[in-house]
Amino acid sequence: MTRADGWLLAAGALTLPLWLQSPYHLHVAIMAGIFGVLAMSLNLLLGYTGQLSLGHAAFFGIGAYTSALLTLKLDWSFWPALAVAVALAALAGFFIGRLALKLRGAYFVLVTISFAGVISLVSINWIELTNGPLGLPGVPAPALGPWSFRTKTAYYYLVLAACGLSYLVCRRLVMSRIGRALVALRENEPLAESVGVDVTHYLVLAAVVSAAMAGLGGSLYAHYTRFVSPEVFLFTYTVTMVIMVVAGGKGTLAGPVVGATLFTVLPEALRAAASWQWQMLAYGVLLVLLVFFLPRGIVPWLARVMAGSQAPAEPDSPTIRR
Amino acid sequence: MGKRSIVVLALVLVALAALAVPGESQAPIKIGVIEPLSGPVAASGNYVRMGAEIARDWLNAKGGIGGRKIDLLIEDNKSDPKEAASAAEKLIVRDKVPAIMGAWGSSMTLAAMPKLEEYGVPMVVETSSAASITKRGNPWIFRISPPSEMEALGLEQYVDKLGVKRVDFLAVNTDWGRGAITAFGDMLTKKGATVGAKEFMDQSATDMNAQITKIKATGGDTLFLTTAVEQITLVMKQAQEQRLGRKIVTTGGSSSPTQLIKQAGAAAEGSYHIVFFMPWFPESMPDGKLAKAFVDEWAKRGHPSEGLTEGFRGHDGIATIAEAIRVAGKDDPKAVREALWNVSLMGVNGPIKFDKDGPAGKESGQSRPSIFVVQIRDGKVALPDFLAKK
Amino acid sequence: MAELLQHLLNGLVLGGTYALLGIGLTLIFGLMNVVNFAHGEFYTLGAYVSFAALALAGIDFFAALVVAIVAGAALGWICEVLLLRPLRSESIDTTMLVMIGVWIAMQNAELLGWGGVAKSIPHPFPTAPLVLGPVAIAPLRLFVLVLAAALIAAAWLLTQKTKLGRAMRATFQDRDTAALMGVGIGRIHAATFAFGSGLAAAAGALLGPIFLVYPSMGDLASLKAFSVVILGGLGNLPGATLGGLLLGIAEELGAGYISSGYRDAVGFVIIILVLLLRPSGLFARQERIA
Repeated sequence: MTRADGWLLAAGALTLPLWLQSPYHLHVAIMAGIFGVLAMSLNLLLGYTGQLSLGHAAFFGIGAYTSALLTLKLDWSFWPALAVAVALAALAGFFIGRLALKLRGAYFVLVTISFAGVISLVSINWIELTNGPLGLPGVPAPALGPWSFRTKTAYYYLVLAACGLSYLVCRRLVMSRIGRALVALRENEPLAESVGVDVTHYLVLAAVVSAAMAGLGGSLYAHYTRFVSPEVFLFTYTVTMVIMVVAGGKGTLAGPVVGATLFTVLPEALRAAASWQWQMLAYGVLLVLLVFFLPRGIVPWLARVMAGSQAPAEPDSPTIRR
Repeated sequence: MGKRSIVVLALVLVALAALAVPGESQAPIKIGVIEPLSGPVAASGNYVRMGAEIARDWLNAKGGIGGRKIDLLIEDNKSDPKEAASAAEKLIVRDKVPAIMGAWGSSMTLAAMPKLEEYGVPMVVETSSAASITKRGNPWIFRISPPSEMEALGLEQYVDKLGVKRVDFLAVNTDWGRGAITAFGDMLTKKGATVGAKEFMDQSATDMNAQITKIKATGGDTLFLTTAVEQITLVMKQAQEQRLGRKIVTTGGSSSPTQLIKQAGAAAEGSYHIVFFMPWFPESMPDGKLAKAFVDEWAKRGHPSEGLTEGFRGHDGIATIAEAIRVAGKDDPKAVREALWNVSLMGVNGPIKFDKDGPAGKESGQSRPSIFVVQIRDGKVALPDFLAKK
Repeated sequence: MAELLQHLLNGLVLGGTYALLGIGLTLIFGLMNVVNFAHGEFYTLGAYVSFAALALAGIDFFAALVVAIVAGAALGWICEVLLLRPLRSESIDTTMLVMIGVWIAMQNAELLGWGGVAKSIPHPFPTAPLVLGPVAIAPLRLFVLVLAAALIAAAWLLTQKTKLGRAMRATFQDRDTAALMGVGIGRIHAATFAFGSGLAAAAGALLGPIFLVYPSMGDLASLKAFSVVILGGLGNLPGATLGGLLLGIAEELGAGYISSGYRDAVGFVIIILVLLLRPSGLFARQERIA
């Protein structure tokens, strides 16, 4: 991607509220942005270390609950609450990273599922803290000095900033020595280890950054929907993130953003296109078809198409095979 | 500049444009409906939808409101609060509905509520039971279903006749189940009963033997059961397998005794059920004629009879909104909200009229629904002895 | 004491159902390395087929079981050949995503076809419980437990003693060598997936009458099946059986003596502990990380 492309996309994103006449479309854009952060977060683990976390909703939920509880029960303002939410999620990521660092593949998947399961049950049953299944309504909208982020346009820019920040963090990480070490790890762990890559260190680092970003997404979600309930830990949220990453193109920087946009817009477009009986069925079938025809994801495919009839181009990073 | 980003940008634009189909103006009056039509509670959500469709067709058969037909815009909240909020946003902003009925579960309703406040559109809540819904100071909420406290008060007069002395609770681990245990526990303690075990089950759980074994050990006389009909069926069957031998009282009005008779058989015998509609004796409802007509229409459409105890909610919700639009004389959200305070109509459940509830100045509306108790006796739904004599 | 005995009996019966759910998945997930989120949908399919055969076509309980197994296996075969075979060289999460799509599509197709209302499968057993001293058990449950044991034994014999079973194990242990020895790799993949799906459908047909049949019933089944597989070790049939029993009893005791709200947490905590302390499963002989 050239520098001009980047500026063009940034300009498009920055002016989006101007040419989206309807707040409903802005709502969809905000949800896409929040899920963009989440998908980038998952991609860091799945795409760059090859470790599939199916408990990512746990970090998301921890961020959402932390931020909601601090602002509601202790009257904190949004910003410190956000910081603590990110920190707590990162801590959980550190914990999981340390515990699970010996595990790979399917085993890692199951530890993360179980972790999310336990956290979810805690959120339902620890009534004194979380208000249990009743959830926490009335989470305040963020404010910065005199400005409130209560309006959709303002919140859109907040989410966009978070998205941009996450993207830069990912890019920085991936392009650095750390990123190369992670990819080396993913491609051939024994080899990476033999040339002196500290496997444990890098996996934990990836888990911490990934969880922190998911926590950021959670906090943004809580203050946007203004309501947090144990449903934030639903497995469907994790599944949605996985769909976004894999369909967009895991192990690419743009993939999760494209995936998040597509799979936030798709269900809403289906609302308009199909009656409710067919929506979820169509969603499932479309997903199967997409993966079937583009198993590596949209962005790597686009990269190939753009490269045209020249030699088959490599995507942003080496294709993933195991 | 690179072609790739143009393609990405174009894809995003096309996708967003797909959403931007211009909505039509004029003609029919639109009413939004948000229900769980897929996912674990799809059955209940669909019954409510069927009831809503009956109300719509009846109103349209009578010429609609002021000559304009009623059009229901039905959205699926997939039993997920995030989807409920998105559905509300879509109905309000894209379809410009003047009022919404929804959203079945309390957490779905609570998630949709900030949208109502943001845009100023009223919602008639047809099923949700969490007390907090009308206590939060959201002046766009009008509830026709009873919160658990109201339901417990409705049962209070029968507690002695039911002979409840030592009671145990088994409830689904949601806002609804937990709220019911608190409300009924308080009411029964006040009436001098002792509370034994308070057990929970996950929404999707199918094996409740552990909880039943634990409850059996308390030696109580009555089990209060709060959950959806599927789990009630399973609990009853498993209680029979374990020879629990308790009087069972179900709460929440979603127990569908007809379905229990079919699926739990002898295990359901003798159980009591709090319901908000008695399709078995429509003549005993506050408006016997309306109730009878609803039961007949339901049968005529081939809807399953076990859905009646849930389906009436949809009818009453839509009837309430339609009446408010008629009173307001226009389908403008603010006018409809004002009108909702003044509506007084007869629903299938009984009279619907809203009292103020919640913090002063920002009150929500809460109707006082009728509450009934029925019993399954000899494989049929019957009025309990203490009511039948009247 | 009576309470504890009843809890243990409940746990044993529940564990038997978990084992039945787990054995099919341990082949698909354990041997084929497909994170099959649609496993529970094959369970649901089995239950609906059995319901249709019994309640609508009026054939008997055992014939309905056979029909359900055949239907599950056939759909599993089709699924493997159409969707998984072309993606065999892709990574584990690509095939997982396809199966997530299948899961969503199948569940909503069931909702569309059958409606959301729960169905109850009729069965020929008396409902009055069998009283054994201080404890009680429903005759149907006892029967299902016995039949589950028989089915698990049959599945084990099939993988251990038959030519197909040997080819299966050879294929997933060392694919290239197996191919050189003349094993039809494609056929073995399809057969294994069909076998696992058939077992899931059998579980649905057997457990349908105990529980109820509804479109989302497979979600819980998938979750429990994954737990069982990890407890028992991937691809390990006797391990899955023991894992199922262990999970059933642990949940039952957890709900009975700790807190029913945390009932499902018991399974999760066991999984985390097992994976951290003995990642190859409780009953495996050697470590099989990565």
